[in-house]
Amino acid sequence: MSLRLLLVEDDRELRATLREALAVEGFEVLTAASLSEGLALVAHAGGADRPRDAPFDLVLLDLGLPDGDGETLLAQLRRRRTLPTIVISAREAEGQKIRLLDAGADDYLVKPFGIGELLARIRVALRHRGTTTTPALTRWRRGEVEIDLVARLVRRNGTTVHLTPTEYALLARLVRSAGQVVTHRQLLADVWGAEFIDHTHYLRLYMGQLRAKLEAEPAEPALLLTETGVGYRLVEPDE
Amino acid sequence: MNTSLTASSPRRWPAVLAWLAGWAAMTALDGRLDLANLAMLLVLAAAVASLWLPALVSVAAGTLAVVAFNWQFVPPRHTFEIDLRQHALLLVAMVVVNIIVATLMAGQRRALAASRRHAERAEQQRAWGDTLRDADEPLLQAGALQAALTQATGASAALLLPRGILPDRDDDAAVLVLGEPDAEQRAGLWHCLRHGQAMGPGTGRHAELPDAYLPLRGRGATFGAALLRGPWRDAEGAREHAQALCDAMGTALQRARIARDAASARQAAETQGVRNALLAAISHDHRTPLATILSAATSLDEQAERLDPARRRRLARSIADEATRLARLTDNTLQLARLDAPGVQLRCDWESAEEVVGAVLRHARRHDPARRLHARLEPDLPLLWCDALLIAQLLDNLVDNALKYSPDDAPVELLVRRQGEHVVLAVRDRGPGIAPAWRERVFEVFHRGAEAMAGAAEQRARPGAGVGLAVCRAIARAHGGELRLRPRAHGGCSFECLLPVRSAPPPPQDET
Repeated sequence: MSLRLLLVEDDRELRATLREALAVEGFEVLTAASLSEGLALVAHAGGADRPRDAPFDLVLLDLGLPDGDGETLLAQLRRRRTLPTIVISAREAEGQKIRLLDAGADDYLVKPFGIGELLARIRVALRHRGTTTTPALTRWRRGEVEIDLVARLVRRNGTTVHLTPTEYALLARLVRSAGQVVTHRQLLADVWGAEFIDHTHYLRLYMGQLRAKLEAEPAEPALLLTETGVGYRLVEPDE
Repeated sequence: MNTSLTASSPRRWPAVLAWLAGWAAMTALDGRLDLANLAMLLVLAAAVASLWLPALVSVAAGTLAVVAFNWQFVPPRHTFEIDLRQHALLLVAMVVVNIIVATLMAGQRRALAASRRHAERAEQQRAWGDTLRDADEPLLQAGALQAALTQATGASAALLLPRGILPDRDDDAAVLVLGEPDAEQRAGLWHCLRHGQAMGPGTGRHAELPDAYLPLRGRGATFGAALLRGPWRDAEGAREHAQALCDAMGTALQRARIARDAASARQAAETQGVRNALLAAISHDHRTPLATILSAATSLDEQAERLDPARRRRLARSIADEATRLARLTDNTLQLARLDAPGVQLRCDWESAEEVVGAVLRHARRHDPARRLHARLEPDLPLLWCDALLIAQLLDNLVDNALKYSPDDAPVELLVRRQGEHVVLAVRDRGPGIAPAWRERVFEVFHRGAEAMAGAAEQRARPGAGVGLAVCRAIARAHGGELRLRPRAHGGCSFECLLPVRSAPPPPQDET
């Protein structure tokens, strides 16, 4: 059974191009050109081989649609089930990006973007599919760095790296969403508490410390990436 | 003598003194001089006293003195009987001379006072005119006008002056009010302002009002209203004088408004010119990558079967590259327009220079396969209060330019260090450098007129630099910083962005 994607995008050219590119990768792609079409497909697209509450494996959602805002569909999806959603938008409004991520979008891509980047984001989102019901990622390994959330152990080149409790909590939060961007607000709320969501400078300090301990070249991080103005992203683990 | 004539509150005692002296002289010389000479003393005393006395008082005093003279000196003494043949003529002549002298004196004094008053008013108007002529914003002189009106009329004055265009309704928020008028007086001021005509005593309009209202008139329009609280002494022409002071203010306000209108019209024209030139520059910048994209795409479309796979891939590659360049150009243009708008809001937060530079490096590596770009950051840099996306965009542009305009094997450095109250983010290359004449102008989006023609060749030599560097400087300045260009000792140039250091918030509490 191939993975089925819903692409909600009103521009005909972009819709056709993305559909073809995704089909080449083996995805089954259903497309919607408007908000109402997208809502209808989400409501009725369940086939014989699919459970009614999961007609798709992933949704690619454009925000500026002719008959409304894609945010409406996002709210619908969030209310009914956890279906990975990647927002694709031409809007450069950072505030909106952050709001959508906080509201439950799995990722965002600002137009224009390359197909390689889109595929990478889709892979990450699919991997995180259903993490609310199934156990989350507990072991993460990339190159010389290894993190084991069960044993609460961080190793680099086989040597245990000593982390303070806060550093560890921050790293563990990023591991749980490995490959995905986690907003400043989410990190601060989960690690320090809801009253610290404006203390971005805490993150600067602790991310600096984590990079110094884990990165080969802290000034040019390869693991703990900065999503400028939005949050942080721990890269995908090795396969 | 002049001072006594024109004193604002006339002195009376010299007149009394003159009469006493005259009477004493007559009493002393009684018996030694004959009656006619004594009478001359009385006429003299009356004339001297009239210098200080109003006409009527002077006449009354003179007549009384003649009667007393008759009682005291004219035989038969201590009676009012008159020897008609001898003394009637003398006494009548004395009274008539007194009347004539007193009347002439009073008239003279009035004329002198009036001319003095005119001179004072002319001087006040001249001084007021000078004050207004030197004032850039006549509204700031409202207090001076209030004081001048009070000085001119002795009445306490209030003013109502619109701050801008006259509102449709009587809105006290839209006007400057001085002198605390009560509600009724405010209504009167608004009425006067709207109708542009004086009201109150002596104006022929609403003469029953206790106070006088004067409009501040310009040519064909009214720019405010003044209130003179009654009852006030209407020294001749005082209201006209006050009106002249008010009109001078009205004219000045009108002149200032015309100057403002002209300035904003000029500004609008300039903005339009800037916009047109910007559009021209942008469309030029956008056409270049579009041309590449279009030719590569049509080649793929129309010649597909005749192209070998490697050639097809190269064309696809160039489409992707040029589209990326176009996207960046669009980002820069939009950012420039946004930063150009008044009241732009930055999304500032505490950012670490290391992180911003890290993101820029990651971005740059995509078109820096040979890893020519090196970053060096001083340890223990303070956090920056900035919009990280904008600073990243600034550094992206500078790094992109540096990689593009320096030889393929020359290194490009990104340095961050603290320098006094600033953090300096510098991008340094070993390219051909920039001619001194162009060191400031590379930051301009475009060049107007003849310069545009002359600059066209050079702009081709550095495509896209216009919008890119202009937006970089706009970003630096929006942060209260600066972007400057310095030539390097052994060739190449260094673009240095200075951002002010602000005191950082306290770090989280230490943990063990």
